[in-house]
Amino acid sequence: MTYPAIELRGVVRSYPGEPPIQALAGVDITIDSGEIVAIVGPSGSGKSTLLNVMGTLDRATEGSVLIDGIDTRSLSERQLCGLRATKLGFVFQSFHLLESSRIIDNVANGLIYQGIDHRERNRRALQALDHVGLGDRANTKPPKLSGGQRQRVAIARAIVSEPSLILADEPTGNLDTRTSDDVLALLADLNERIGATIAIITHDSEVAARAPRCIHVRDGLIYQPTAQGSAIS
Amino acid sequence: MSTRTTPAVGRSQLRFRDRIWTGLGGLGSRPARTLLTALGIAIGIASMVAVVGISASSKADILAELDELGTNLLQVRPGSSFIGESSKLPPDANVMLGAIPTVESTSGIAEVNADVNRSIHDETPNGVKALTTDGSLDDALQLETASGRFIDENTQDLPVVVLGAVAAERLAIDSIEGGPTVAIAGRVFQVIGIMKSHPLHPDLDRSVFLGHNYAQTELGIDANHTAIYLRVQPTLLEATRPLLARTANPVDPNEVEVSRPSDALEAQAKVDQNLQNLLLALGGVALLVGGVGIANIMVIAVIERRSEIGLRRALGATRGHIRSQFVIEAAALSTLGGTLGVALGVTATWVYANNQGWTVAVPSEALAAGVAVALVIGALAGLYPAAKAARLDPADAVRPTG
Ligand SMILES: Nc1ncnc2c1ncn2[C@@H]1O[C@H](COP(=O)(O)OP(=O)(O)O)[C@@H](O)[C@H]1O
Ligand SMILES: [Mg+2]
Repeated sequence: MTYPAIELRGVVRSYPGEPPIQALAGVDITIDSGEIVAIVGPSGSGKSTLLNVMGTLDRATEGSVLIDGIDTRSLSERQLCGLRATKLGFVFQSFHLLESSRIIDNVANGLIYQGIDHRERNRRALQALDHVGLGDRANTKPPKLSGGQRQRVAIARAIVSEPSLILADEPTGNLDTRTSDDVLALLADLNERIGATIAIITHDSEVAARAPRCIHVRDGLIYQPTAQGSAIS
Repeated sequence: MSTRTTPAVGRSQLRFRDRIWTGLGGLGSRPARTLLTALGIAIGIASMVAVVGISASSKADILAELDELGTNLLQVRPGSSFIGESSKLPPDANVMLGAIPTVESTSGIAEVNADVNRSIHDETPNGVKALTTDGSLDDALQLETASGRFIDENTQDLPVVVLGAVAAERLAIDSIEGGPTVAIAGRVFQVIGIMKSHPLHPDLDRSVFLGHNYAQTELGIDANHTAIYLRVQPTLLEATRPLLARTANPVDPNEVEVSRPSDALEAQAKVDQNLQNLLLALGGVALLVGGVGIANIMVIAVIERRSEIGLRRALGATRGHIRSQFVIEAAALSTLGGTLGVALGVTATWVYANNQGWTVAVPSEALAAGVAVALVIGALAGLYPAAKAARLDPADAVRPTG
């Protein structure tokens, strides 16, 4: 049987304090394999916390997170690392590229913690770069790239391991409108062409509006806006 | 299959080669900083290698001298009497000493109180003095002639001389060809040999040798020797040494001084050892400072590369992978410094030894140890920063820093 790419059941994440801060206050989300979903909400609503919990970089205080059918609560710290290496891809707002490494090496790093050898990594990295339209820039270094190109490299790094789920936290947050459109189009294209499952986290309702499915977050909770969309001002 | 089994989780693993490369990657990204930090270790290692190298070269030189001198050479000289007057050795002292069974050979010298010049009319002072010799002084002291031959039984009683290297220079005689002569105390002597220079016996270089018997009978000098050199059976040297004073001068054994010329060289080698230890300790302090420098720079690197650490954790790196990356980086940084230091140290040794006219002798263990010590110091210095990096919370580390 096939599993959803990710399933969150009653996920709570609270930070200790007086009183404790509930960044996630009981969230249920299911994203099926092959979907592209926008997770939208205002700043401080708990989106990044949600992404970190979905990506196993953070553990839920309560509730469960199942990735590709695997209950992450049952996994050791080491196994979680293996899960991230094989089943998850990340795209961050600030790209997180190694400035002194070539583009191809940055992308190939998406496979390095699977113990895949150098040649195979490079072969797959080139493929991934082709998918994002940067196949001819493999040997350049990030300082020579524009913001949009940098985010394309980061996307190539996220897809290179063919993960079950790609998590993108404000992927267009550092880009101008035009480049943002390009990057979003690329993500939609990758979803269509190679069947990548993608969750795009954004505070930009325009970005969200273009996604086939949109999950709204406010104050650590999922909510359904009214049909007129009046919840977002 | 009716039971729902949990799908297998892939493992996080990093190949050995990639482990090394990720560790080295951080160094290449900041070459200037890498070099400056490595320099701290380089200075420490360089000074230690130079200390070991220079002292080994100097010791090799002293040992070569010692070898040349031989440790079985003893010198017997008249000491001073109880009331402080300088005394004399009895005329038959060298015969008596030669009679000791463990003494292999004896030869004596005596000073002649006369100037040595090119001719009997020439009276320019030149600092060249005349020494008498009997037995085979050349054998006892391993003296060699540059040309001609040394005084022997056949020439003992003839008016002939052999010139020390410096004496020959001062008398402007560079060859025995053409039968050069010198004048001593109004008499003319034929030069039959010229010595090589002997750095161990500079006073002999400035002397002119003539037969003891001849000097005694023809120049009327005392029969007493001013020094007697003995070669003793090496294994029985310590047993023989106490007998010498009583044998040389049975009446006043206290007025005899017995010494072993090699002792001075050995003492010199020992002084070197103490100095070497002190300098090594100083080099060790420099290394320690270099190690602290590395730890310091690595702590800064961990703070600066917070987002890289977060990214790597997101890509599947375990804490162990992060820890080893930073330990390897620190060790590589330090090893670079160590290698640089070894090169600097060898260069310094080479320059210094050449300046002193020594042969360069840097022990190869010192080179290997220099690099190894640097590697260990680096790894140790990296432990704390690496642990800090590994402990970073991945969720925190990937958040954009404000
Ligand atoms: N490490 C933390 N410690 C305490 N509070 C935190 C921490 N991280 C996030 N928060 C709080 O959780 C809430 C949600 O933050 P975040 O998930 O970053 O929101 P978003 O990404 O939607 O802007 C905020 O109120 C934030 O202050
Ligand atoms: Mg956020």
